[in-house]
Parts: sequence; structure tokens; C-alpha cells
Amino acid sequence: MGSRGANVLLTRASRIKSKLQMVLEAKVLEVEDVSYQHAGHAAVKDNASETHFNVKVVSDKFDGQNLVKRHRMVYAALTDELESGLHALSIVAKTPKEAGLS
Amino acid sequence: MEHSRTTASASGSFLQYGLRFSTSVPNDPDTHDDFKPTNKLENSDLTLKDIVEQDVKDNHVMIYMKGDPEQPRCGFSSLAVRVLSEYRVPMHSRNILEDPELKKAVQAFSMWPTFPQIFINGEFIGGSDIILNMHQNGELKEKLKATSSE
Repeated sequence: MGSRGANVLLTRASRIKSKLQMVLEAKVLEVEDVSYQHAGHAAVKDNASETHFNVKVVSDKFDGQNLVKRHRMVYAALTDELESGLHALSIVAKTPKEAGLS
Repeated sequence: MEHSRTTASASGSFLQYGLRFSTSVPNDPDTHDDFKPTNKLENSDLTLKDIVEQDVKDNHVMIYMKGDPEQPRCGFSSLAVRVLSEYRVPMHSRNILEDPELKKAVQAFSMWPTFPQIFINGEFIGGSDIILNMHQNGELKEKLKATSSE
């Protein structure tokens, strides 16, 4: 697993937020740390925190993409986080139209 | 380690019994090779990638998960199993917590970083969010119907 030291000043939630905002130009972006729900989880070693997040993204970039592709886009933006201890994301990925925004 | 690989090849559903299965097979030296128990994971000709390809090809519903269906070790894996169980179709599983190399092979195969991962009829479906979504909008029923009519 990669070093967690480089970004000690930022929480993973805020890093996830800025990365998704940058890559997906989100209209709506909600990131919630739900790691506490997975405390003592089989795959969560030691006292690892910031492992599980709920993410809701509304982006024009999802237009014409199926769910698998939308989730791949989110994962691709978060490769570094996934390689440094982020275990799981619950993803809601909608277009503005689907979200009732336009 | 060999035992855990043996159980994995029998499918995670039989995980807790796998050890018994694998050790109860008589190793009769007179048995012709054709009748000897085979074990995919122990066959050095097969890479883990081959095994994953075989898994998704041979099983209508294949799930790579944390834990096994009887005892999921993660809420997301548990959710996926509960959704799929609604349809009462045969489901094969492997526990990626038991084999880090298998975990990497699955991730490389699907280009998907998290678990569970579900395949139906060889097609990559996604993780728990997607399977739940497809359950709710009826797509999963259609997909599995196409599957079970074969």
C-alpha cells in the first residue's frame, strides 16, 4: 500500500471530492465517510480509517454511459486513493437530467 | 495453502466443507489418471487469469466476494448475495480474502478495483450498487431469465 504521508493535511473525503470535481466537473457532489460502519471489517487491518465512502455525483459526463462505465470513470479518478487504503465506494452516478436538474 | 486453494476450486459455497472433500478423496495409486480428482488451481498449466476466465465462462452467475455466501465478510458482498439469492439461481463464488493473488487477477481481468464483482453469463455486471440498481429496475430479472433458459 502506498504512503499515506503525502496528504496528511487533507482528509480522504476532501481529496476524493476535489479529484471527482476536477475530472467529472460535477454539478452535484456529495462524499460521505462511512468507514465507521465497517469498523472491525474483515479487510480493514489495524486501525485503518477512511476506507469506505458513499459518493453521489451528478455530471454531464455520464450522459450516454451505462452504470458500469460511470462507475469506472469514478474509480479511474480515484486510482491513487484505491491504491492507498480506500476499500469500497458506494456510488450514485447520475446525469443532471436523471437527477432532475435540467 | 494448498488446502485453501482446493476449497476455492470447489467454490466458496462449499468452503467450510471443502477441506473434508479434498482430504476424503482416496489417493489410490491404481486409479487411472482419467479418474483421479482434478484440481484446476493446482494445475500449473493454468494461470490465475485462466482460472478467472474459466469461472466466468462456466458459471451462469459468478461472484467474487469478501467471505462466502453463507458468511459474507463485508456489507457490500452481503448485499450482493442477498439480491442474487432472491432469484434462486445457482451462484458460484470465490472468497478473495483467502487469496490475494486471485484478488489481483480478478481486478486485472475486470479492470474493476473493488469487491464484490458479479459476472452473469460471462459478462461483467459490476458491484453491489449496480446489482441492486438492476434488481430494482427489472434488468437483473431479464438478464437472469436469459441465463436460466439455456
